[in-house]
Amino acid sequence: MSDIAKRTGIAGPALALLGIALVIFQLSLVFFWVPTEAVQGVIQRIFYLHVPSAWVAFFAFGIVALSSVVYLWLGDERADRAAQAAAEGGMVFTTVVLISGPLWGKIAWGTYWTWEARLTLTLLLWFIYLGYFMVRGAASSPEKGKKFSAVVGILGAVNIPLIHMSVYWFRSLHPSPVILKPDGPTAPPEMVQTLLLGFLSYTVLFLGLMILRIGVLRVEQRIRLREANA
Amino acid sequence: MSYFGQVWAIAWKDVLIEMRTRQRIVVMGAFAVLTGFLFNFSVDPGVVRMQDIAAGLIWMTLVFSGLLGVGRTFQIESEDGAFQGLLLTPVPRDAIYLGKVIANFVLVWILVLLILGVFGLFFHLDYGNQPLLLLLTLAIGTLGFVSLATIFGAVAAETRLAETLLPVLLFPLLTPMIIFGVSATNRLLAGRPITEVAGHIRILGAFALIALAAGSLLFRTVVED
Repeated sequence: MSDIAKRTGIAGPALALLGIALVIFQLSLVFFWVPTEAVQGVIQRIFYLHVPSAWVAFFAFGIVALSSVVYLWLGDERADRAAQAAAEGGMVFTTVVLISGPLWGKIAWGTYWTWEARLTLTLLLWFIYLGYFMVRGAASSPEKGKKFSAVVGILGAVNIPLIHMSVYWFRSLHPSPVILKPDGPTAPPEMVQTLLLGFLSYTVLFLGLMILRIGVLRVEQRIRLREANA
Repeated sequence: MSYFGQVWAIAWKDVLIEMRTRQRIVVMGAFAVLTGFLFNFSVDPGVVRMQDIAAGLIWMTLVFSGLLGVGRTFQIESEDGAFQGLLLTPVPRDAIYLGKVIANFVLVWILVLLILGVFGLFFHLDYGNQPLLLLLTLAIGTLGFVSLATIFGAVAAETRLAETLLPVLLFPLLTPMIIFGVSATNRLLAGRPITEVAGHIRILGAFALIALAAGSLLFRTVVED
């Protein structure tokens, strides 16, 4: 860790460690402190992991899209590294959403999968991330890979609101089995606080991992340059 | 040469190549007809009425067989550095993109007419009392499809996976157009009044134009070295 810190700055490791500590603290609140929800019972506790992860999944794609625009516009390598690091983190958190959601849905809705709007949107987000990495990896040169993945990132970002709108409209044809609103306005303050802490912890963890990853990508780039010069 | 003249020259060049070689359209047409053939044996008409699922069959066949041809848009110029030559001409990049989109549109539009004719015969479809509106819906859908498929075709052509990568990139972003296109087609095939489909066709049109605009803006970054 100290070696990486020397090369990549202190912000990444510090934020990542803080994020891990916050997530552990928030999980302890989820397990031992927050009251059990009356209707759904204990299963509702997945919510405190699921919703912050979903926020990070989409927040990360926002970073991917912005960095991609900056990269195509200015050709700045740092923007490309930020986009790649954010996409990697975003895909991990999207996977968390896609695993935790069905686990909750099986008990709350009685089925692992329904074509509910948010589920559909998140699954498509995962595939847009997949396309992003496949283009980057399979491009005929690293430079092309950076450009192509930026194009995929931007097209994906333009499309996500359209997908959102379409799948919401589509859902009206297929009402989901149960419509649940876990956080009504009557939710007790412990629940709201645990959720808000979740947003904070997962965002800090994500940003820490992202900055750490940017550092690693920079070191990789330096090694490639050195090997090319040798 | 005016901008539209340039777009037209590129579109005409691709259409002319296709008319002379007939490579892509034959493959796409055969694929579409054979898909309809297989649908016939994979769907039990005693359980589902073909008329009810025809919209989905038509759109899916359009997308899959369209991919076969559109995915090879940039293979036309793969030999002898022809694409480099095209890039060296004093033509804006987005004119190249628009020309390619028009040529692909012509190609896929012929395919759509073939699908409608053959599926109509195979499955005894009734195309409702608004056949022109049905054609308009499919034309807008085709435009949206080729707009996205052309830019991603340019991306995929420069990767090791070539056209195999195309569905992974294309299908998630095609979802909004499929949702509104299929639902409009469904209602037209069910003989519903225009008021029930006009909104969907407008949204489909908006999506297609967004895809076309985004494609023209981004194409430059895909092809430059």
